[in-house]
Amino acid sequence: MSGKPLIGQRLKEFQQTEVQRILGACTQCGKCHEVCPMAQYSKTPSQDSKSTVHGVLSVLKGEKGTPEALGWIGVCTRSGVCVPACPENVDPKMMMRLARMTALGGRGLPKQIDVKEDRDYFDRVRAFAKLQLTDDELKEWT
Amino acid sequence: MSEAVTFWYGCNVLRHGDIIHACLDILRAIGYEPSPVGGPDYCCGTVKDANQVTAGGMATRTVGKLNSKGNRVVAWCPSCHSHMHDFMEKGNDRQFDMTYLVELLHANRRKLLPLLRNRVEMAVMLHKHVGFNELVPVNRMVPELLELIPGVKVVDGGYIAPGYMCASFAGLPKALEDMHNHTVRSAKACGADAVVTTFHQCFREMVGLDAAGAIPVYNYIQLFAQSMGLPYEDEYKAWKKSPEAAKEMIGAERIARVGIEFYERAVLPELKKRPNLR
Repeated sequence: MSGKPLIGQRLKEFQQTEVQRILGACTQCGKCHEVCPMAQYSKTPSQDSKSTVHGVLSVLKGEKGTPEALGWIGVCTRSGVCVPACPENVDPKMMMRLARMTALGGRGLPKQIDVKEDRDYFDRVRAFAKLQLTDDELKEWT
Repeated sequence: MSEAVTFWYGCNVLRHGDIIHACLDILRAIGYEPSPVGGPDYCCGTVKDANQVTAGGMATRTVGKLNSKGNRVVAWCPSCHSHMHDFMEKGNDRQFDMTYLVELLHANRRKLLPLLRNRVEMAVMLHKHVGFNELVPVNRMVPELLELIPGVKVVDGGYIAPGYMCASFAGLPKALEDMHNHTVRSAKACGADAVVTTFHQCFREMVGLDAAGAIPVYNYIQLFAQSMGLPYEDEYKAWKKSPEAAKEMIGAERIARVGIEFYERAVLPELKKRPNLR
């Protein structure tokens, strides 16, 4: 053991601290869901904002989310309209981002939603770079 | 004396070499000495929500590389800029100041003005989003920048798209379709000759409207380049407008750099993609 911190350990700790802060601060009033311009695009739209937010918090706790909560998490595009709507300064944008990471299985918990993985993402970026930049630019800039 | 800055352009703007090259010329013209860095080796990790171990590694690697440059970082990409603010700097020691390019240009309007020599006769509507604007007020700053260009008139159709930029709509076809249609309707209603985007991700999505013949689309940097007389050609738009002829336009030598199989499987479908207009 070198005693050197693991790469990404501080980021993981920051995320965990944020989860605990959000779980402690959110009163599940549902205002964030009410104002969300993306909620209408959910595969499982919800008329009950309070229970939808309750489901999001369940995901953050590592529990199974409701279909309505997972549907909302799946359509979050970080509009941030929820942030000023929150009476408790919870930062619902951060809440939804962390819930998305969790539901995708990114934080080590079981995956609950699927997003189509673009396996060519980075190769496509590299391909366009090769079409648009010179060899010297590729070598020095990327 | 010019200030050395690291121009962190991101990943996906590599589709638009003209935008990167024009940014560098503009930065030099207003007194900066930019070192460009980007691509997958400088990825912020924001695309790795489903794997935070990898995202954490990418963040540490990229913050370390940017620290080693020792200069202020000027960010182009809204994803990189906001991911640095929200996550990367929380898990790593950021040792550099950071500015978003729009902020830097806005602060240098006095230096930009005399460089904008050519008239660009165009009424333009800015394609706006809600999210990133809370971090950097781009919805105010970009119109103020555009109005420096002689001949440009900024009109407002009153539509602000949800999300922090268009790329976040990749897996949401109905939302993307609504956004395309609202954008065209708003632009026509306010008499815009063209739609102008702040972000390259939005340009990549919106340029499909141009290719479909709905309305011309530009990135704001391209209008600055036109007015300054910079020589860069928007090849991506040309390829997008004529995907069947793109292979010929690109040429065999450049196609060989990416491989014909990859070009046909992964590049050409993107060029052929069109918005679903109602």
